[in-house]
Amino acid sequence: MTLQAYLTLAAMLFCIGLFGVLTRRNTIGILLGIELMLNAVNINLVAFARFLGDVSGMIFTVFTICITVAEVALGLALVILIYRIRRTAVADHLDLLRG
Amino acid sequence: MAASGNFALWAWLAPALSFVLLSLIVPLRRSGKPAAWLSIVLSAGALAAAVSAWRASVPDMARRMLWEWIPVEDGVLTSVGVLADADSTLMLILVALVSFLVQLYSLGYLADEPPASLGRYYTYQSLFAFSMMGLVLAPNFVQLFICWELVGLCSYLLIGYWYARPEAARAAVKAFWVTKAGDVGFLIGIVMLWSRTGTFDFSELFEMAQGGSDALTGLGLVMFCIYLGAAGKSAQFPFHIWLPDAMEGPTPVSALIHAATMVTAGVYLLFRTAFLFEQAPEVLAAVGWIGAFTALFAATLACVQQDIKRVLAYSTVSQLGYMMAAIGAGFASAGFLHLLTHGVFKALLFLAAGAVIHAVGTNDIFGMGGLARRMPQTFVVFLIGTLSLAGIPFFAGFFSKEEILGATWEGGLAVPFAMLVAAAFLTAFYMFRVVFIAFMGAPAASGAHGSGHGGQAAPHAHDAPALMTVPLWILALLAMVIGIGFARSHPEAEFVAPGWLTPLAVGVALAGIVLSAVVYAHGWISPAWIYRRLAVLGDAAMERFWLDDFFALVYRSGILGVARIVGWVDRYIVDGILNVLSAWTLTAGDRLRRIQSGQAQDYVYGIALGVLLLMVWMRWPR
Amino acid sequence: MSLESIAFWALAVVLLASALAVVLTRNLFHSVLYLALALTATAGVFLSLDAEFLAAIQLLLYAGGVVTIVVFAIVVTERLVGDRITQTSRQIAAGLGIAGALLVAILAIFRRAPLTVPRPAVSGDLTRAIGQSLLTTYVLPFELLGVLFLAALVGALYFARPDD
Repeated sequence: MTLQAYLTLAAMLFCIGLFGVLTRRNTIGILLGIELMLNAVNINLVAFARFLGDVSGMIFTVFTICITVAEVALGLALVILIYRIRRTAVADHLDLLRG
Repeated sequence: MAASGNFALWAWLAPALSFVLLSLIVPLRRSGKPAAWLSIVLSAGALAAAVSAWRASVPDMARRMLWEWIPVEDGVLTSVGVLADADSTLMLILVALVSFLVQLYSLGYLADEPPASLGRYYTYQSLFAFSMMGLVLAPNFVQLFICWELVGLCSYLLIGYWYARPEAARAAVKAFWVTKAGDVGFLIGIVMLWSRTGTFDFSELFEMAQGGSDALTGLGLVMFCIYLGAAGKSAQFPFHIWLPDAMEGPTPVSALIHAATMVTAGVYLLFRTAFLFEQAPEVLAAVGWIGAFTALFAATLACVQQDIKRVLAYSTVSQLGYMMAAIGAGFASAGFLHLLTHGVFKALLFLAAGAVIHAVGTNDIFGMGGLARRMPQTFVVFLIGTLSLAGIPFFAGFFSKEEILGATWEGGLAVPFAMLVAAAFLTAFYMFRVVFIAFMGAPAASGAHGSGHGGQAAPHAHDAPALMTVPLWILALLAMVIGIGFARSHPEAEFVAPGWLTPLAVGVALAGIVLSAVVYAHGWISPAWIYRRLAVLGDAAMERFWLDDFFALVYRSGILGVARIVGWVDRYIVDGILNVLSAWTLTAGDRLRRIQSGQAQDYVYGIALGVLLLMVWMRWPR
Repeated sequence: MSLESIAFWALAVVLLASALAVVLTRNLFHSVLYLALALTATAGVFLSLDAEFLAAIQLLLYAGGVVTIVVFAIVVTERLVGDRITQTSRQIAAGLGIAGALLVAILAIFRRAPLTVPRPAVSGDLTRAIGQSLLTTYVLPFELLGVLFLAALVGALYFARPDD
């Protein structure tokens, strides 16, 4: 398939992920949305790497995946910690930054 | 000239030093007597320097010492400095002499004041001496105006010296307001003159006048505005109303400021800038007319006053009118000469009146009586002053007064001349009225009103202490010396007086004395009879021709009304706009606060929106 | 229609459908399962792009690791037994609007850009190429990645420590 097809796919996936981040109440739900967005980015990178013949795009993807894994681990650790302290995982309740 | 300028500078800086020391070193000021002596010694030094300056001076306006002050693009806008020619140093001597004598006298007069107040008094006196000398020595309009305003300030401070008394506070404000009205005109005139000629400097203006410069044509309005300042300061009709009320201040203050120096600043200004006024003859005519009218008007008011200081105040207004009339007639030097002699004998009269008030405890001449016996020295000096003022030969005022009459006649102002003659008659009349009522006759009934230092009223009157009598005798002797000196060799007049002038002048004065004796000394004609004959005029005079009330009405309704409107605009419109703006800011801030909801997802909204906008912006003008 | 395009379309449909399910399902646990499906579909997309190594990594780390972690997190923060794990969504309209607008913007960019590049031939073994560059050109980021993992590990341990 053409490059454009892959990029369009990635774009749609990205926007679905963004929608998820914006609308989900549960913190873990938000994290799932972020996962989708990152996946979209990965597809983008690999597609470009494949169609332009440059392998560094795939290397970039490797790194992205690894860093994402680390980020998910830490993010969930934070969610658990907050749940311990605040007894809630609903993002709406975490508004201490409120001005 | 350099020597003259240097001496003048020393004379000017001596009271400045006194003022600076007294105002900055608070313990010195609060100590009272030492502060007074500091001021007195420095003013004596100023006097010595002034005399030296005069002796070294030449009558040439061009040579002066200047220090550049306000620089502008090409050159200097204005300077400060010392213009010490023959005339200004003569005036400087007058200022320094009367200032010194008054300060010496005040130490005796105000001996009962608390030390802190006494220190304050001498601080003000020093400031006044400095400002007045600065005015006299000013080489340009700017320094003159600044010192003019300073002098006005000192007048306010000294009239309101006993500020706890409401009458004194009101009188000080009144003086300030009325002179300020004139000063506004003065300032406008100065600026207009500068816009015409491009300079403030007297010497440069003099040269322009000599050379017949075009810039000096059509100066009528400008010079009239400048005259307004002089009219305010020198109490010309209708701005004279502040001077009688200014008598609320201590008597030495009245002697210094409201007889010899500050009020003569207006006359001095006109004398100094006479060459400019010559360019506007219609203004000079107005000056002459207003001056003569003031002289007569004030003289009538003086005839009905009971307060001895008020009599002298109206007398001062009248004499100022004389000086202005001479200037208006075109012979400014005659006016200046009268300024000098008047300074001497009016100060003498005021100080003598002060001695009387100090001893008797009241200003009311009907509460005095028979003081000639109990205060012989004071009586003698007061008589000398009165004879000078009335214009009797061999006394100081005779020659200068006759000069003025001659000048008015020669200048072609016939009606003003008649007014001045009538005023001379009245002057002799009312002055001797005071002499006969206060010094002759029987003492007034005691227990009237009096809180003099002797306790009760007249019975305990006595001559004043040495600190007060020495200045009195110095001034009296000076008056005699001037009188006799002029009789022998007087300065050459610029005109030839008609032969009948001297007899007329003397005759009129004697007539006044005789009438006064008839009415008050022997009682052949009762004052009440005269009063009835004059009917309306008498009533009006008692009400001071309702001028004060008129001005008060204008002030209250006009100025206060405008002030109230401005205040309303300020509170509701100016402040209102700001309040509305601040309220809107607060509300906006409150509303905008809600963006910071604390919810992370809302911030993601922000980011997404930002990215969207970026993309749109990138793509837009393709 | 070649095999390639059929495979691509199938994968695309599965991917997008499961992604939608991830963001729209009420049940959080179901959401996670749908995410696993989406990640697997992504691995398939990688395969169709001849990136076998990446597909393998995707399956191992993402579909395996991340999903497991998320499930554990859910277990800790929600009550699995008894109540249903539900969640409602907030401000759907606004989210839809922004996401939709962004999608339109991105697609509009694609229209302008010259992206009709033919797929080049596969030049050698991509896995070998990846491995080689990883250990030569990109060895520094590679090592730093190790440090990152260490930091993440320590951090996670610190966060998850028992309260003393």
